[in-house]
Amino acid sequence: MLKYLDNIALIGEDIPALAALRQKGKVAFTGLPDKKTEAYKYTPVSSCLKEEMFSKPAHCHTHQDGHCDCEQKHLPFDAYEILFCNGTLHEHFHFCDGLEVSSLLDAVTDHEIGKYINKFELEKFPFAALNTAFLEQGIFLRVFKDIKKPIGLIYHTKQNGFENIHNIVVLEKNVNAEIIEVFEGKNSISLTNVVNEFFVLQNATLTHYKWQNSSPQAVHITLNRVDIKADGKYQSYTLQTGSKLARDETQACLKEQNASAVVNAAYRLSADGLVDTTTDIEHLSPSTASNQIVRGVVDGQAHGVFQGKIHIAPNTFDVSGHQSHKALLLSDDAKIDVKPELEIFADDVQCSHGATSGDLNANELFYLQSRGIDEQTARTVLTSAFLKTAFEDIPNSDIKIFFEELLMG
Amino acid sequence: MNGNRRMTNKKPLLEIKNLSASVAGKEIIKNLSLTIFEGQTHVIMGPNGAGKSTLSHVLTGKPGYEVTSGSITFKGKNLLDLSIDERANEGLFLIMQYPVEIPGVSFMTFLKYALNAKRKYLGLDELSAPEFIKLVQTQAQKLAIDKEMLGRAVNVGFSGGEKKRMETLQMALLKPALSILDEADSGLDIDALKVVSKGINDLDDGKRALLIITHHQDLLEYIKPDFVHVFAGGRIIKTGDKNLALELEAKGYTDFIKEAQC
Repeated sequence: MLKYLDNIALIGEDIPALAALRQKGKVAFTGLPDKKTEAYKYTPVSSCLKEEMFSKPAHCHTHQDGHCDCEQKHLPFDAYEILFCNGTLHEHFHFCDGLEVSSLLDAVTDHEIGKYINKFELEKFPFAALNTAFLEQGIFLRVFKDIKKPIGLIYHTKQNGFENIHNIVVLEKNVNAEIIEVFEGKNSISLTNVVNEFFVLQNATLTHYKWQNSSPQAVHITLNRVDIKADGKYQSYTLQTGSKLARDETQACLKEQNASAVVNAAYRLSADGLVDTTTDIEHLSPSTASNQIVRGVVDGQAHGVFQGKIHIAPNTFDVSGHQSHKALLLSDDAKIDVKPELEIFADDVQCSHGATSGDLNANELFYLQSRGIDEQTARTVLTSAFLKTAFEDIPNSDIKIFFEELLMG
Repeated sequence: MNGNRRMTNKKPLLEIKNLSASVAGKEIIKNLSLTIFEGQTHVIMGPNGAGKSTLSHVLTGKPGYEVTSGSITFKGKNLLDLSIDERANEGLFLIMQYPVEIPGVSFMTFLKYALNAKRKYLGLDELSAPEFIKLVQTQAQKLAIDKEMLGRAVNVGFSGGEKKRMETLQMALLKPALSILDEADSGLDIDALKVVSKGINDLDDGKRALLIITHHQDLLEYIKPDFVHVFAGGRIIKTGDKNLALELEAKGYTDFIKEAQC
């Protein structure tokens, strides 16, 4: 399959810094993960990849003014929207005070990016290595002041092909910002490979939302790599309802005292899709805290995967790390694989993990039906309520309502 | 016939004929017949384990209860052909002995789905948000239900009395033709019992019918029955008026049933 990648022509070959980065990616990329790759043991990516995914998607038809039909408002609330259409960034940015936006290519050219890009072990993440080898599309965002509106990253996919996107977001000290990513696609046979690198500096708070509703034939891979400094906070709320196979992986490093992370997620699958939520929370300093609430509903022949690791480094203390995964299995053929891991090398810590799976509560279902609510609606009400647990603490009421509506289908 | 009984020459609202029903292969209801007309209040009294609650579950269509023979007609329709929600939307309502807690679903959301389901069934438009809120709050006030409770998850953390008030609120909003009160008085203190009874009596428009299932007669202090049936061994062994309830209370079930079966 990889041989088809050779046909993908990239722009920016003449930029030395970019060529060097791509070369680093090629060296780090030793092949796609297979059954023997521990991190992908439940998630057989290779078997879902198709030839159509390994080509550069065609560009959108643009009008004379340089805009295309996809450039409409996508979010049902006020937000700065940045659009990727079939994997290509549309550089019609909305700027505001305190926000600096540029394309990844411009940022590399201007040498601004060196201290932020690939600040992790690329070799451990095969798709991130692949991403670097094909580095081209993405944005570089720096936030200097509190941003009042959420920043929307909209990934709109209509064409088959390979979408390779690398975003870097830096929150300077003491600022608050919200980012919402929406992946949408209907019938495309696409491979979307996103790397997000988030840098949350001292006393800054980044709230990151994501709704993945890609085509049922798509493969979607995301790595969220987060560095959190003293008193900084990263909180993420991810909802996945699409794709043939989707993996959302978060590695959050709580690097300094009082750094904290909330990594909540929910997935709802029917048919034969697979959603993988993988987290690795690294407590590297004293007085750091993390919490993860993950809820899943799987029906048909769908497959949910949760791999959650909490690592507590030596010489830390006053650390708390909690994680809970619960799933509803609505059919005999639906499947869940859960792998919690606690690596604790310190004494003064509070850690917990829990995982359960079961069916809908028959008494709850009967109660709703006995009030005239039909079975299908009653099931949706109950599954939505179950999944909503992961989104109870969403701080933005517009986005909370948006997510609750998405849960009701 | 007692003069207090409300007689009618209309068609029966509910007609149970020779009903037998089982749970997990065990026959619980045995050849039961009962007819309820519009506007009537029937009480079924009997000892624990007599099958009283089984009857309420069979009527509402709870899974796990199998009708092995007989028929149930409700408003002229074969009730057994209708799904649980269709039965409810036709006008059958069960005040449950133990109302179910549903985490994550607020009462307002739940009530909105229930009310709109009924309106859709009746071919009416959904209520607008202001109409819905006004309707619910007006009824809630009558039942001394705090607004704050409406925002909470369905029955989660509610006391027995609060749960029953919320059941009564649903009944008031859905205006069922026949309400079944399955041990509706269990877990209620006297004040809550009065509020719930008042709520139920306020709904009396001369048409609504009640089937009260209970094993003691506290509730009958507040809701006057037309008929009292003694239920034992899966069937009605004696029918009378409200005095029968007093007789039962005085004698106790064991002696009464022995006497009745002689």
